[in-house]
Amino acid sequence: MTDPFRVPLIIRGQIIDDAEVDYGGRRGGVSFSVPDIAKHVARLPLRTPSAMADLYALSFDEILDFLVALGQRLDFGQNRHLQEAFRLSCQTSGLSESILRVHFQHIGAAFDRTEMRRMMERSCGVDYLEGWVDQGVGRFPGLTARTRAFGARTVHVIAGNAPIVSILTVIRNALTRSDAIIKLPSNDPLTAAALVRTMVEMDPDHPLSKHVSVAYWKGGDDQVESAIYDPRGVEKIVAWGGFDSVKHITRYLQPGIDLITQDPKLSGTIIGREAFADETTLVQVARRLALDIGAQNQEGCVSARVIYVECGTDEAGLERANRLGQMTFDALLRLPDHLSTPHKAFDGALKAEIDGIRLNDEDYRIFGGRTNEGAVIVSQEEYPVDFSRALACRVGNIVPIDSRETAVSAVNAYTQTIGIFPESLKDELRDRLAFQGAQRIVSLGGAATMQHNMERQDAIEPVRRMLKWVTEEQASGEMLAALAG
Amino acid sequence: MSSYLDRLIADPTSFHDAPYTQAFTLSREEIDRLHLEGARKRFAELRPGLSVLDKLAREQGIDAIKTIDDLAPLLFPHTVYKSYPISYLERSRFDKLTKWLAGLTTSDISHVDASGVETIDDWIDLLDAETDLTVQHTSGTTGKLSFVPRSKKQWRETIVHSGVIIRDWWPDRGPDIVKDGMPIIIPGYRYGAAAMQRGNGIQVDLYAKGEENTLFLYPNARFSADIASLGGRLRAAEARGEAGMVDIPPVLLERREALLELERRRPDDLKHFFSEAQRRFGGRDVYVTAMWAILYDWAEEGLKRGLKNVFGKGSVLLTGGGKKGKELPDDWRERVIEFLGFDTIYEMYATSEQMGLSMMCEHGHYHVPPIQIPFLLDPATGKPLPRKDGLTGRYASFDLMPNSYWAGLVTGDEITLAGWEKPCACGRTGPYVIPPVRRYSEQEGGDDRIVCAGAPEAHDRALEFLAELSM
Repeated sequence: MTDPFRVPLIIRGQIIDDAEVDYGGRRGGVSFSVPDIAKHVARLPLRTPSAMADLYALSFDEILDFLVALGQRLDFGQNRHLQEAFRLSCQTSGLSESILRVHFQHIGAAFDRTEMRRMMERSCGVDYLEGWVDQGVGRFPGLTARTRAFGARTVHVIAGNAPIVSILTVIRNALTRSDAIIKLPSNDPLTAAALVRTMVEMDPDHPLSKHVSVAYWKGGDDQVESAIYDPRGVEKIVAWGGFDSVKHITRYLQPGIDLITQDPKLSGTIIGREAFADETTLVQVARRLALDIGAQNQEGCVSARVIYVECGTDEAGLERANRLGQMTFDALLRLPDHLSTPHKAFDGALKAEIDGIRLNDEDYRIFGGRTNEGAVIVSQEEYPVDFSRALACRVGNIVPIDSRETAVSAVNAYTQTIGIFPESLKDELRDRLAFQGAQRIVSLGGAATMQHNMERQDAIEPVRRMLKWVTEEQASGEMLAALAG
Repeated sequence: MSSYLDRLIADPTSFHDAPYTQAFTLSREEIDRLHLEGARKRFAELRPGLSVLDKLAREQGIDAIKTIDDLAPLLFPHTVYKSYPISYLERSRFDKLTKWLAGLTTSDISHVDASGVETIDDWIDLLDAETDLTVQHTSGTTGKLSFVPRSKKQWRETIVHSGVIIRDWWPDRGPDIVKDGMPIIIPGYRYGAAAMQRGNGIQVDLYAKGEENTLFLYPNARFSADIASLGGRLRAAEARGEAGMVDIPPVLLERREALLELERRRPDDLKHFFSEAQRRFGGRDVYVTAMWAILYDWAEEGLKRGLKNVFGKGSVLLTGGGKKGKELPDDWRERVIEFLGFDTIYEMYATSEQMGLSMMCEHGHYHVPPIQIPFLLDPATGKPLPRKDGLTGRYASFDLMPNSYWAGLVTGDEITLAGWEKPCACGRTGPYVIPPVRRYSEQEGGDDRIVCAGAPEAHDRALEFLAELSM
């Protein structure tokens, strides 16, 4: 037994760390203690909107300066708060230590000045953050307008499956000049706290430190939540993942509160017949497919689960599918351990499903899946396994199809990312996949290893939506007076 | 004593009508012997005829059972009885479903031609008519039905066995229901192939001695397997997006009408059920059976109508199934008893795939009969834990009574087992389960963990869906 973890409550630059209430510790799970939030909850929301003014004394470049300096202090080798967050994550996360280590080593790099500026340019335009931007001519002669983007008082209910969620939340909140209450998840209660704690240590009185708070409470605690989700102190809620968690937040929605959800999603793959052109190509496809299934231990919404392969469904087609299954499984086992490892807490229900169909080789062929090493299940007909939504822990399902049309029509609004081979197939299908509901279409292998456009995750623009777009208009006084008759 | 044990070893199925009290007087050595010899017998007899068991044995590299722990890797994951692809149901491929089922039973069903069948109910009826099976399905809370190939003979033995338990479990209190007969009261469907309905016909026959001595909430209705599976089929279709948008077969649409009619008539049926219960059976000694959650709904409805102590003091209740995820008030048991008016309760912990039942004693422990071989498995590795008192793990067990299918299963339940070293305070020997029984699946999710991979799971959307269709 190590020391119990202490999760601080940080309110606007003030750190409360008196560890009065214990959570977790079920079934050998990790336990952590937090201050009694009930004593402090009234101070969490910012009831006076005028207190946002200090953020507007800062220029965009000054905000960047602060974030870049913060990034330098987020050196994993030096920052003990990050080290503590890492130690806890190693117990709570679905990611193995070797994968997590890479995540934590790169936290500082996420605060790159050029990339942060690009992100804001793409998602809302820095000029809109910095001042009132002229909107050109309108319908009425002489009427002009200017728009500026303002930050909002926001609660962020974040996911704990990877540290990037905490990082993005802190960066987006600062760059939009917003005020954040970050609700910590039980599977990563320390990463966001470590970032904010470092900000407070840099300068507790800095406006950026004073406009971010972190707190843990048990999701569903009505006493806490009804005090926080109140339009007098909160204008927006950004909620990540978890159908149940999002569903129960909707109880508090009322006029005056805007909900932005990063819904739970599943991702998939489409592989065209070109994969079987020659052996060299097939080897590369198998390796890239292994990445889409296995990278980040399939913990992400971007990770591939069902893989449609245009190999045909006749005997020769199934043979091709099974061969790709075997090669993909072999490649999965060889993935470097900073990207993927056997899952340390293999889902028992999923294991029972795999064990059940293993005895049914009429319908399924299974490579792996003996213990926690992961598996590639090859359907022997054009149908995914019945538990396709529960695929996790490095288990993919190859589904042989005769025509790419089957794969296109299987895409729906819960499909986040689709990895595609070859590129020509991507160009051919991208519009249609978008109609069907797909939100990100990538080269096979890139689903969980690279991401370009984080600020458009799930095909919504969370950064843009976090802002309030305020317009100021001007018309001629004489003309307005004339309207009065 | 030894003749009792010798008979069980020679023919474990004979346990079904053996005196039940004696089962809990066996010594630890006798129980161990019955377990080991029984397991060897079943493995040797069933392996040649069960292709699925043969496959598992080859996978695990086990050709002989030397110690009882050798049986553990041969227990089926509980998913085996539902390991068919659900697309079989969507596409009415009942020929394939028949072939799948054939791998799980030693009964020869190869002559059955199910190629023209369109619904699960019809498929089950066809097997009833043309084979010696009485297939039972689970109620499909997960949206996918398991099919258990129990034989007609085994079903009759199961009902006789329940009668023996009712007679022997509570000394001097239990009626001999098979010998003397008793009216049957069931707050549910008369017909159907789910666990709760499958034995109704035989109970009417053996216990009530005729239909006129029974009362069902839905005396003419069938609990339909197709409706029960609809939720799972819709989910499977949803997961395939547009590709899964299939026309609902017309047969199901007809069923839908019947089902909606049943819903419309429910208030009347309930009224009729209560008034008949009062008029024909009020104050009489009766046999009631239903799961707790259903009993509670019935009792609440009755208490609302001012009904209390409806039946005679000598009545008996056979029940189990816990709360099934329902929110019940703390005094739910008391409420049920207040309504029924008697307190001779037989509470069981059991699984659809097995014939034996583990009954709860006055100390709140479920006693595993010696004919069932209980295992605790390490939840992480699946390896059997030693036979020591007070250990907790994943429950698995093998029932020696069924002799034509493999009744060895790993459950999804986390339990604590005792009675190996020190018998229960009630005096019965042998292993017993200490409640609570918890589902592993409930513990693995939840607790405020948020991940962003997943898809909304519709709860039970089948009825909602049917209602939408009828607009």
